[in-house]
Amino acid sequence: MPTPRMPHGLIYAVLVAMALALAGTAAAQTPPRRDIHLGVASCAGNNCHGAVKPPPGASMPLDQFLIWSQKDKHRLAYASLSSELGQRIARNLGLPDAKTAQICLDCHADNVPQEQRGRQFDLADGVGCEACHGAAVGWLGVHLSGAGHKANLAAGMYPTDQPLARAQLCLSCHFGTDKKFVTHQIMGAGHPPMPFELDTYTMIEPAHFVVDKNYMARKGKPNDAQIWAVGQAVDLLKRTEAMLDPKHAPQGLNPELVLFDCQSCHHSVKHLEWQPRKAGIGPGKLRIYDASAVMLDIAAGRVAPDAAKTLSDQMVALHQATTKDWNQVQQAATAVRQLTNQLIPMLTSHDFNRDDLKALANGIIDAGTTGEASEFSQAQQATMALASVVATMRLDGFATADQLKSMNMALAALFEAVGNDETYEPDAFVKALQGFKGTLPQ
Amino acid sequence: MLGRIARKVISGLGGAAAAALCLAAVSALSAALAESDSVHLGVAACAGSNCHGSTKVLDSTSVAQDEYTIWSTKDKHRLAYKVLLEDRAIRMAQALGLPDAKSAKICLDCHADNVPPSQRGREFQLSDGVGCEACHGGASSWLGTHISGSTHAQNVAAGMYPTEQPIARAEKCLNCHFGNGNQFVDHRLYGAGHPRLSFELDTFTVAEPAHFIVDKDYVQRKGVITDAQVWAAGQAIAVVRHSQAMLDPAHSHEGIFPEFALFDCNSCHHPYDSLHAPRPQLPGLGPGNVKLDDGSAVMLAIAALCVAPGPAHEVKQTTIAMRHATLELWPAVQHEAHALGNLAHELAPTLAHHDFTPAEMRAAAGELIALGLVGGDVSYTRAEQTTMALEALIGGMQSSGVIGGPQAQALKASLGGLYESLANPPQFRPESFVKALRDVRVAFEGCCR
Repeated sequence: MPTPRMPHGLIYAVLVAMALALAGTAAAQTPPRRDIHLGVASCAGNNCHGAVKPPPGASMPLDQFLIWSQKDKHRLAYASLSSELGQRIARNLGLPDAKTAQICLDCHADNVPQEQRGRQFDLADGVGCEACHGAAVGWLGVHLSGAGHKANLAAGMYPTDQPLARAQLCLSCHFGTDKKFVTHQIMGAGHPPMPFELDTYTMIEPAHFVVDKNYMARKGKPNDAQIWAVGQAVDLLKRTEAMLDPKHAPQGLNPELVLFDCQSCHHSVKHLEWQPRKAGIGPGKLRIYDASAVMLDIAAGRVAPDAAKTLSDQMVALHQATTKDWNQVQQAATAVRQLTNQLIPMLTSHDFNRDDLKALANGIIDAGTTGEASEFSQAQQATMALASVVATMRLDGFATADQLKSMNMALAALFEAVGNDETYEPDAFVKALQGFKGTLPQ
Repeated sequence: MLGRIARKVISGLGGAAAAALCLAAVSALSAALAESDSVHLGVAACAGSNCHGSTKVLDSTSVAQDEYTIWSTKDKHRLAYKVLLEDRAIRMAQALGLPDAKSAKICLDCHADNVPPSQRGREFQLSDGVGCEACHGGASSWLGTHISGSTHAQNVAAGMYPTEQPIARAEKCLNCHFGNGNQFVDHRLYGAGHPRLSFELDTFTVAEPAHFIVDKDYVQRKGVITDAQVWAAGQAIAVVRHSQAMLDPAHSHEGIFPEFALFDCNSCHHPYDSLHAPRPQLPGLGPGNVKLDDGSAVMLAIAALCVAPGPAHEVKQTTIAMRHATLELWPAVQHEAHALGNLAHELAPTLAHHDFTPAEMRAAAGELIALGLVGGDVSYTRAEQTTMALEALIGGMQSSGVIGGPQAQALKASLGGLYESLANPPQFRPESFVKALRDVRVAFEGCCR
């Protein structure tokens, strides 16, 4: 006797019911993902961060998306991959397409994995809101509820207002990490150089925040000099970490050249540039990029003078190690990394006051005029450092409007002196430095 | 630099073709190349108005007799010592921790005729710079023979240096214009401010300017030596010297870097904006690698192409292998450099004694142009060597009667764009060079088919 058969329709119904039950169980067991990037569109509403003018009763201007989408180069990060240069770099690197290469996208877009991309997420938005502020799915509700900045952070918003967090975030692309790094191979393929200074770059991004009473009430009063100092420390930290990364050890005749000062090689052979420095490695040698160490040394002089002296000695040892072997470079880098790690909490807890600012300005000027910071990379960093000092003086009311005006004019001359590495003349920079010195409030 | 080099003017030979050098001459050469301890009498000993200091060209003698006059008014060798007193030298000495450039052996060995005091005659003056005897050898042993109206071979036998012979000339000039085991402009000296050394034997002979005229008297006394031979032998000896320098333990790694003087200056010393133009890509070397200066090796492969196709091919392959080896460790580079040096050493006499036929010179010029036009592989150094090689080959074609004076002038004029593209090394753009090279190709096609 044949086994009674269930009608097909019934089998189907049972299967569907079972599938639904299973799905329901799975949904009940998995918490909602908190790492979804919703996309720029989710912030850009004209009643959110896309407001042409502040809505009535708003505590701050709500034009952040507008600033980003009109002025901030981060919006073009992805588009630049299809530019002529982007295409050429890809070709030189043997990549089929910069727009699809992880090595490019990791910094030229908010390249989170597919499963973290929300409905409105668009890779072509480049470095959008959530690339810095973090996946909004976790905190958007809290954020909209007006619970306050701390509640936002607790819900997962990235604390970009905090100098250390900002430095780590920005430098993860503006210098690199062990996962993403612009090697000299990429530079050689055509990638432009990457100068960076946290405070200056925050300002020229341009910043899509205004430090007013409301900002300070929510996030505290920022100290530009502190942001500068922490930025330099994290930069140095990352550089020493890169020196310790086995990927960057010499493979062939040379070590990873991107860790060295670009201008150490890429200067015209017509210029007589070499001059003695504390590093003491003699002419004709490639120099490790040390502008952040030179700046950090000056900042540390105000918070931990003994550590500053040690850092200075350690940097001499690091330079000297390049005339020996890579192991010694790594040993020296390990010491610098350790000391820098100790300095960072001292800097993040130090409020640079009026005396500090004067001392920083004089320290930077001295470094420039004595030759420790008169070569291009150092001079460029010294200039940005002085801009941070002036910004702090303005915010803290340490200078009159007239004084600020003359300092800013002197700063403009400095920026002009360091505007072009090819035409850079140390003498012109030193002259501009002396001009700036004359404008410092006594 | 190259842009400042005076354009060549080579007097024609009227199509004369004389006997090739015999082996006997080669062994005489080896003897002459040995260090001599003959006393250097000083420039004054040659400069008399009835000797080499005539103010006008004398037809009555076998040479023009104005050699000293040319040297003392036009030749930069006369200023070699004086530049040691200039600001740049003072600055360099400071950077190098030397008390003084004009008393430092490392400077004087090439900026003067720095023989030991025991070899300095009464009229010898260090401040004469690179004077007569720095190249022609200490005159005390041969001056008497020389004045007696002896043959050139007798002068050479008495100790005069055979500067007319391509290999001997190359060895002599490259002692300073590249270096040897005792004297070498390393990257420390460059870093302190020494200008870049650039050299091609034939072009620099003419640009010096030459204080000799290749006429019947010359050919009778010294034989026929064409520009093509001088160029080819000069490249072979340059490759030998480069190879020796790479094998020299003194130039192995110092610290974590190799000796950068062995690399192509413009491989690093270029501004970033040139990255916006296509960068030269050498086969097998990805972007961002420091490239060896292998310009002479590339030229050697072309010079030997028709003369010795087998070795020429080996030179080419070994040059590529040497480039690849820079991605490995220094011993790998040295291994290839050693092989390349041996090949060049064996090719040198062949090239120095080879009477380049018109077809061979045309083929070499064609190859130079074709290689340049491939593009993507044009470094400043390569472009510079290509330009000087074309200049030498035009000179060779003219002196062997393949082309007449007006044709030679037209061809040389077509090199103008190349020189222009090279005038400012930091601003060098491969595409400008390639564009100018297309004009040269047209000129050659119009003239030498």
